[in-house]
Amino acid sequence: MIATLLFIAFLAMMLAGVPIGASLGLAGAAAIAAANLDAQWFGLLAVPQNFYAGLGKYPLLAIPMFVLVGSIFDRSGVALRLVNFAVAIVGRGPGMLPLVAIAVAMFLGGISGSGPANAAAVGGVMIAAMSRAGYPASFSASVVGAAAATDILIPPSVAFIVYSVLVPGASVPALFAAGMVPGVLAGLALIVPAVWMARKHKMGALESSLPRPAFWKSLREAVWGLAAPVLILGGMRAGWFTPTEAAVVAVFYGLFVGMFIHRTIRFRDLFVILRESGELSAVILIVVSLAGIFAYSLSTLGIIDPVTRAIVNSGLGEYGVLALLILLLITVGMFLDGVSIFLIFVPLLLPIVQYYKWDPVWFGVILTLKVALGQFTPPLAVNLMVSCRIAKVRMEETVQWVGWMLFSMFLIMVLVIAFPELALWLPRQMGY
Amino acid sequence: MSSSSAKPPELDPAALPEPEADEPTRVPLAIEDWLTVLIMAALALITFANVLVRYFTNSSFAWTEEFSVFLMIVLALVAGSAAVARDRHIRIEYFSDSGSMARRRGLACFGALMVALLFGVIAVLSVRVVWDDYRFGETSPGIGVPQWWYSMWMPIISAAISLRAFGLFLRRLRGAVAEVEAQP
Repeated sequence: MIATLLFIAFLAMMLAGVPIGASLGLAGAAAIAAANLDAQWFGLLAVPQNFYAGLGKYPLLAIPMFVLVGSIFDRSGVALRLVNFAVAIVGRGPGMLPLVAIAVAMFLGGISGSGPANAAAVGGVMIAAMSRAGYPASFSASVVGAAAATDILIPPSVAFIVYSVLVPGASVPALFAAGMVPGVLAGLALIVPAVWMARKHKMGALESSLPRPAFWKSLREAVWGLAAPVLILGGMRAGWFTPTEAAVVAVFYGLFVGMFIHRTIRFRDLFVILRESGELSAVILIVVSLAGIFAYSLSTLGIIDPVTRAIVNSGLGEYGVLALLILLLITVGMFLDGVSIFLIFVPLLLPIVQYYKWDPVWFGVILTLKVALGQFTPPLAVNLMVSCRIAKVRMEETVQWVGWMLFSMFLIMVLVIAFPELALWLPRQMGY
Repeated sequence: MSSSSAKPPELDPAALPEPEADEPTRVPLAIEDWLTVLIMAALALITFANVLVRYFTNSSFAWTEEFSVFLMIVLALVAGSAAVARDRHIRIEYFSDSGSMARRRGLACFGALMVALLFGVIAVLSVRVVWDDYRFGETSPGIGVPQWWYSMWMPIISAAISLRAFGLFLRRLRGAVAEVEAQP
């Protein structure tokens, strides 16, 4: 009864456009009060306690820092130089610019931790370049939005940090390592339909007439950007720093490169960078903390166990349940962002994961792949929102292009489900 | 490292979408913005100092962890307050941003009121948490300072968020009224 109230109140508020965090917090508080009508203050003192407990976790500090890294590298001029270098390597053949966009987005994925930041950095350079070469803006926006989705799979990744905070058995380094191979596969899987569509529709006809940058010169200019993932991922691997510290090192590295090497960041830009990344982090962190209230009411109402039992006894079998979960998450993913999906569903799904003895790291990679797909599935596609704003097209116009890329990346998810070793081999090799 | 050859594209104004201009608010958003900037800078500097100190002296000041977590909570609340005033929190706009103007305004008002209600409740309840921390002389686990030094900020900022949400509600309501009056 109270459980029904919890979900109906949450769904109704969420669909009415109340911020997701507030919907979670209010529904959770109402359920707590309804369950403790005779207790002192209706047991509501649990509300502020869980609000702060949901937030007061040191690993979460990595989120504002990686958001800051993304914001800095956005403006550091690194993306442009990486693009020039990539063009110098692959040349000016037909369909090469979409390939470059995806490759550079994957590479920046090794620096930044969030898809929309990546879409902004790559889109800022590539969409203009692709339109000069004659690609339609809606196609460029689709390619950039899809390519940026690999960011949350390729370490570092804000999504993995949130998942790790929710799931005790999955450490951040293990998740980061596990996302590497699926992330690269997802990127490669995007290149195939992107290049194929470009050639089939004879897009980018002007590309071959554009000059090809000199190899050594562009390498020399790109070297600062090329070194960044080595510093971040290598530093974490070598045990020099924790994920949070790696983010902060990347912050100062990015500021150094942006302010003194490429000179694209002026001192007064720092205010905007810090303010925007602070606000964006707060938007994520507030949902994290208010979801703590919701998760508390879920666990004290004792509704997770019956739901889990009903699901595992439904006769669908292990893969039937998994298929159902993915179908559910794909539907939800059209309307909800990744972090909210994790916060709402991971506490519910964890008992199922434990029942089937699925590896929590593998499950995290599957969920993140799902979220990555959701980032460029209209109508609520955070990456496409960014890339469409840069390309000045409406999101509806991308629908004709993103379908094949979604399908291609979906196949990678099926592969990772069928062969868990794709995710689990690397973390085991590295000893996590 | 010359970058003269590669200047124009990143200075292209289209490359970095300009943040939309803020709606005017009675209490300037600069309060939250400056606090946000200072806290973000402090968090980055503290953590960076931690890396350097450990690298050079093989010792770490672990106590900074507690303070950093506190700063992060304040960041979430303070920058979250600005995000409330700017209506930037994650929400499903699919239904609330379609349909008739009256429905949109109604739902926008409702959403803002719900945020005001939630943070109002949290502010009131947090006062009790602070009182308990003070009454029982709780000290923080890391540094050992009185816990209420930390917790006292929570009801204050939560109340501020509630007021920001109420301000947003009033602005949305006024928008709706202005629209009705504008019609002949």
